[in-house]
Amino acid sequence: MRASFIGAVAFVAGLVLAGLPADAETIRFGGILPLTGPGALIGTAEMRGVQFAVDQANAKGGIRGNQIDVLFEDNQAKPDQSILSFNKLTDLQHVSVIFTGYSGPTLAMAPLATRKKVLLVNAGAQADGLAKASPYLINTLPTIGGEIEVISQWAVSAGKKKAGILFENGAAGMAGRDDYLKSFADAGGSIVAQEASQFGQTDFRPALLKIADAKPDIMLVVITAGLLQMAQEYKQLDLKFTVAGTTFFADPTVIADPAATGFVHTQLQIDAPPDLAAQFKAKYGADMEFFAKQYYNAAQIILITLDKVLADKKSVSGETMHDALFEIRKFQGLIPLEFKTNTASVPMDINVMKDGKDVLLKEVKLQ
Amino acid sequence: MLALQLLATGLVTGCALGVVAISFSLVYATTKIFHVAHAGIYTMGGYLAWSMVMYGVPFLIALLVAMVACTAAGALIQNQLYARLERRRATHLVVLIASLGALAVIQNIIAAVYTPNILQFPVNWSSRMMAFGPVRLNYTQVLTIVVSLLAYGATMLFAHRTILGKRIRAVASNPMLAGITRLQPQTVYVYVIAIASALVCLPGVLVPLDLGLQPYNGVTPLLTATIAMIAGGVGSITGAFVLSVGIAVVQNLSLLVMPGEWSIGVTFFIFVIFMLFRPTGLFAAR
Repeated sequence: MRASFIGAVAFVAGLVLAGLPADAETIRFGGILPLTGPGALIGTAEMRGVQFAVDQANAKGGIRGNQIDVLFEDNQAKPDQSILSFNKLTDLQHVSVIFTGYSGPTLAMAPLATRKKVLLVNAGAQADGLAKASPYLINTLPTIGGEIEVISQWAVSAGKKKAGILFENGAAGMAGRDDYLKSFADAGGSIVAQEASQFGQTDFRPALLKIADAKPDIMLVVITAGLLQMAQEYKQLDLKFTVAGTTFFADPTVIADPAATGFVHTQLQIDAPPDLAAQFKAKYGADMEFFAKQYYNAAQIILITLDKVLADKKSVSGETMHDALFEIRKFQGLIPLEFKTNTASVPMDINVMKDGKDVLLKEVKLQ
Repeated sequence: MLALQLLATGLVTGCALGVVAISFSLVYATTKIFHVAHAGIYTMGGYLAWSMVMYGVPFLIALLVAMVACTAAGALIQNQLYARLERRRATHLVVLIASLGALAVIQNIIAAVYTPNILQFPVNWSSRMMAFGPVRLNYTQVLTIVVSLLAYGATMLFAHRTILGKRIRAVASNPMLAGITRLQPQTVYVYVIAIASALVCLPGVLVPLDLGLQPYNGVTPLLTATIAMIAGGVGSITGAFVLSVGIAVVQNLSLLVMPGEWSIGVTFFIFVIFMLFRPTGLFAAR
């Protein structure tokens, strides 16, 4: 009796160690996102997007009978904290898939993802380096270069040929600045000033003043935190140039603030059906904003991939999830996506902030 | 126009830093404690005022109550931490580590209670603008300059014209002799840290009123203020204040000739060179 009990325990332990989900087991994924700190607003929306998709799947009985659990870690958008969280999730919790956001943290974790064969899923960060950072990093949105090309072409065609750049002194910001330098010149414009800020900085006045002194027609912004403060200081200084940026401008508090009226930005297209958005609002008391939709969509992609892995009776690992994702390749979620490479390509809009709302200015189809 | 506006914003930043510097200078010159936890008191003041304003307390009352709370917190740190360590003959290094620990505790409590998100004061008037010719400043910036200058003047008057001020200077000058002559240095230390904590609460509230609150935003001002205190001459209130304003103005005006990411490094390089030629500081007593 005792021998058979020990045998049963050993069998179950063997299954767990082999990564094989037993019937009706809970499969754990990870999420390393900024849940506090200057990036918390976006990070929280991202977390809710993932959790909402997982909760929906669990309510329907899970994926082939397996419940899904996502263990979230707060990295405060810091690369060093992200590494600690990554090791914790992979070494202690043995997760095979981790949702991530923000360029610096994602780039820091990418080599570890390659070494440990853990699938990193990014649906928010856009530094160009992310495209080739790791074969185990998939990006469900294009890198920032594509958006910058579009906004640069729009600016020059709108007669705004002299630009200043305000960029964050970090991976995403510097990549964005380099893209602007290239794309704006390619579009026929010229860069007349560029100033750096630090992540989490809230005093942008000296940088704004210096850029204003160069008399640009437009200021191209690549900052991932402190955008609201920047908008308010821009307004207080009574600056007249147009302010433009990318999808990172899609911060609800910024859109709602009168100081941001007239800000123009590219916006990757993604939309939620009204009933889905209503369910989300009922659950979290907040609108299903861009990043919530992005991460909901990314979670759907992972759940579909998981379903295939389980259907193929394979063990759930970063490797099998990665291979299955590229076997499926085309996903029809909130927006059709195709993974020809690690980075998906999607259409985008150009929006302008007006009366507390984000209004469509132009629709752009990408190849 | 750019130079004038940069000068004005430099003055605002410098005045706020100046109050941090004179408060830190008071503590260091008297107690010889490198009171790093002062950055925590600076941060705490802002959060306390923010909490009260959120509950509808008028800003001025919130500021005064926060100052009282900071005074108590400073006195508590001296009485329950530094004084105990001194009784046990702890070295300056041990006291510094204890102060760092106190700072970490304060910051982490604030982060746990309020989250490290950027918080903004719900005060409408703070961002209203005033024009001085081509220079535009908001009400908070003007208030920061006025309050900082008043704080500097009041500290000078207090140090030179009041009995307690003279007692503090006597203790700072020679603690042993002050002890023999019954000036009670330990009691004076409590007064000094309490007064310095009340002072540092002013920029601790006014700066976030303009730029928002973050739990870890006290360290950089303290670091800059410390450099200003040393460059101004340890023990000189005027030196600490003037050098703070000087550093901030140079840092802002340096943008006229170099990109922003270089300004901090170049500014402090200039001060390193300056210290090589005048290591006792600009306003050091001869």
